[in-house]
Amino acid sequence: MRSRSAALLALLLVFPGLAWAEEDPPEDPETGEETGEQDDEEPAEEGGDDLEERVRQLEEELRALQELLGTRPDEPPAEIFSEAELADIEAALAADAGSEEESAPPPRPQTFATSTQSQNPDISFIADVAFAWFSSDEPLQTGGHDPKVNGFNLQQLELSVSKAVDPYFEFDANIVFSQFGVEIEEVYATTLGLPIGLQVRAGQFLTRFGRINATHPHTWDFADQAFAVGRVFGGEGNRGLGVEASILMPFPWYFELIASETMAGGASTALSFFGANDLGAKTPVDLQTTVAIKQFFPLGSDHSLFWGLSFAGGPNATGRSNRSEVYGSDLYYKWRPVSRGGFATVSLQGEVFWRRQQVPGDVLQDVSLYAQLFWRFAQRWGVGGRYEYGSPTTNMAGEKVAAPQDPAWTLARHRGSAALTFWPTEFSRIRLQGSADVPRWRDAPDWAVMLAFEFAAGAHGSHAF
Amino acid sequence: MIRKTLILTLLLATLLPGLAQAKKLEVVATLPDLAWVASQVGGDQVRVSALSLATQDPHFVDARPNLAVKLARADVLLVAGLELEVGWLPTLLTGSRNARVQTGAEGYIDCSIWVYKLDVPEMPIDRSMGDVHSGGNPHYYLDPRAMKNVVLGVAERFGQLDPAHAADYAARAEATAARIEEARLRWEGMAAPLKGSPIVTYHRNWPYLAEWLGLEVLIELEPKPGIPPSPQHVARVLTTAKGQGSKALLMMSYYPDRSAKLVAEKSGMALIKVNGGANFETGEDWVDFMDALIVPLVAAGDAG
Repeated sequence: MRSRSAALLALLLVFPGLAWAEEDPPEDPETGEETGEQDDEEPAEEGGDDLEERVRQLEEELRALQELLGTRPDEPPAEIFSEAELADIEAALAADAGSEEESAPPPRPQTFATSTQSQNPDISFIADVAFAWFSSDEPLQTGGHDPKVNGFNLQQLELSVSKAVDPYFEFDANIVFSQFGVEIEEVYATTLGLPIGLQVRAGQFLTRFGRINATHPHTWDFADQAFAVGRVFGGEGNRGLGVEASILMPFPWYFELIASETMAGGASTALSFFGANDLGAKTPVDLQTTVAIKQFFPLGSDHSLFWGLSFAGGPNATGRSNRSEVYGSDLYYKWRPVSRGGFATVSLQGEVFWRRQQVPGDVLQDVSLYAQLFWRFAQRWGVGGRYEYGSPTTNMAGEKVAAPQDPAWTLARHRGSAALTFWPTEFSRIRLQGSADVPRWRDAPDWAVMLAFEFAAGAHGSHAF
Repeated sequence: MIRKTLILTLLLATLLPGLAQAKKLEVVATLPDLAWVASQVGGDQVRVSALSLATQDPHFVDARPNLAVKLARADVLLVAGLELEVGWLPTLLTGSRNARVQTGAEGYIDCSIWVYKLDVPEMPIDRSMGDVHSGGNPHYYLDPRAMKNVVLGVAERFGQLDPAHAADYAARAEATAARIEEARLRWEGMAAPLKGSPIVTYHRNWPYLAEWLGLEVLIELEPKPGIPPSPQHVARVLTTAKGQGSKALLMMSYYPDRSAKLVAEKSGMALIKVNGGANFETGEDWVDFMDALIVPLVAAGDAG
C-alpha cells in the first residue's frame, strides 16, 4: 500500500513537468513569442479542406467502431455502477481522506509565468545602518534598534518571511540579526477564513497595542523609536509568545476588536510587567492581557482617520499579586489626494501611554506621548517633525518618585526631532535626522545627529495602513 | 418597551443590509476598469465596487482599512494580477478574514489569465532594472482585445459562482464583447494612418496599446520603470523624440507632469494625459474612456 502511494506521488511529481512540455503553446516562428490567442485559428488557414476531409473520415470510422461495440456518441455512456455502488465508493473515499472534502483537482499545465514561481516563502532582507553623533556620552536611546553610539551603527538586519501555509493559515516570521546575535522577533500563524469575521494569531508576535508597537523600524518615519514605547514596554516593543483573537465587526465602518494573551516576561518586551525578573506563569492571571479597538473613518477618498484605543494589563515583578496596567490611545490622520493624482502626502500621528503600576504599598503612574507630522512633498522627498514627552513618575501622594524600571527618570523629559528623507525607490531610503533631548534630570540637553540608510531586497509583504 | 423596540430596530438596521446583499453577487475589483467589466457582465444582479480610483497609481494604493471591510463582504474579487497589486492587496486580503476571496479560492479571479502577455522577461530579472514585473506587463486594460477576453472569462466565472444567473451573465458578456469589438474596429480604422508612428510615453503603461495599434514606443520619460526622470534622461528623450519625429507623448494623469510638459513643448509633441482607466465612480464607460484617448492620439498624428 505504502509503495503504491509512493509511486503515485512520484508520478504526480513527474507529470506536471511532462504536461508542461507537451502543452506549451506553439511559438510564433517570426517573433519567437508565445501566441496563445491565435492558437485555435492557425490550423484552419493552411490546407483547411484537406484536414476537414480527414476529420470527417475519422469521425465516420469512429462511429462505425462505436456501433460495433454497441455505444453511440450521442447516447450517454452506459451506467457501469448503480447509484448505491457510487455512494459506497464515495463513502470509502471519504473515509480514506478522513474528511468529506472533494479530491484535489488535477495539476494544471504550467505556462512560462507559473513555472518561474516556487513554493518557497516570500523572503526579504531589510538592513538599517546609521552614522550617528551624540553630544552625550550616554545618550538616552530607548529603542532596541536605535542608533546608540558615536560612529557607525548596525541598527538591525531583518529577515522577514511569509507565505500561505495552506488554505487555512498564513505564515509570518521576522527574524532579526544584530551584529552579534540573532533573535526571533516574531513567528506566528494567522487564520485566513474563520467565520463571522474572526481571526486568530498564534505564536510569538508584537501585540497590537497602539500604532507603532506592532510595526517594524522600516515602516517608521523616523530613524529611532519613540521613547514612549521603550519606556513602557522595552526596547523591542511589547511582544510575547501567546495567542490573539480579533474580530472585524459587521458594522458599516471598520471596527476591529482585538484581544490577546501573551507571556509577561522580558526586559525589552514586557518591561512594565515581569520584565527581566520573569516569575513565570502559574495561573492565567500571570499572563499579559491586551485589548484594543481600532476604528477607521475614510473621509472621502483623500482623507483618512484611524483611531485606536488600547489596554494592556498583567503582573509585575515587585510582588506576587502586584499588577501593571497601560492605557493607550492613538490617532493617525493622513491626507493623500488620490482623486487628483501626484505624490504629496501629509500624515499626522500621535499616541499617548498612561501607565499605572502597583508597587508594595503604593501605586505609581506616569504618562508618555509623542506626536509627529510628516510631509512627503515629492515622489522622492519627505520631511517630518516629532515631539515627545515623558512625565515624571508620581506616587499616590502625588510626589515625584522613580519607577522601578527607570531609577533616573524623576523629572519630565522632552525630545524634539526633525528628519529629511530621500527615497531612491521604495526599496531604499536615506534619512538625515537631528534631535534635541531634554531630560530635566540632566544638566544640559543632549543633541544627536543621525544619517540613516535603509535598503531592502527580496519579496516583502505589503504593510498595514 | 419603546426602548426595546428602538434597540431591535437599530440591530435590524445594521443586520438587514447584510441580508439584502445576500441576493446579489458582491463583487470587488482592484481596478476601476475591472469594476466596469464586472458591472457590464453582472448588470443589476451584482453589486460592484472598486478598491482604487482611476486617478490613482495602481502600484501604490494605500491599504486603507475600509477596503478590508469591502473585501470582507465580497463574494468575488477581480484582480489585474501580474504583481500589479502585490504592494497592497495581500495585507487587505488577510485583514478581510474572508475565505471566499483569498488567493486560490473560487471567488478570487486573476484576470491576467485570459490575456496574452507582453514584456514577459526572457532573462532573470532583478530590481536594478527598476519595477519590472516577472509575469509580464500588467497594464493590459488599454487593449480592447484583452478586455474582450476578460469580459467573456469573467462571465464564465460569475456563472460558476452564481449558476442561477449564468445565462444572464453570458448574454450580457456577449453584448459587451460585441460592443468592444465594434469599437475596436472603429478605433483601428481611425488609427490606421498611425501605424508605425513613433511615440514617447512616461511609464511602461503603454505596450499593449502600442502593440495593438502598431505604434513604436521610442523611449520612456522614466529612465527605468518607477524611477523618476533625471535631467540627462530628459535631454535624451528630447533628442530622440525630435530626431525620430514623434508626435505624441502619452502619460497617465497620476504621474507628475512637469518634465513631460517641458519635453512636449520643446519637441512639438502633443501631450496626451489620461486617467489610469475608466472612472468607475462617475460611471464612465470604458469605451468612452478609450475614445478620449484615441481621438487626441489620432489628431496628433494628423497634425504632423
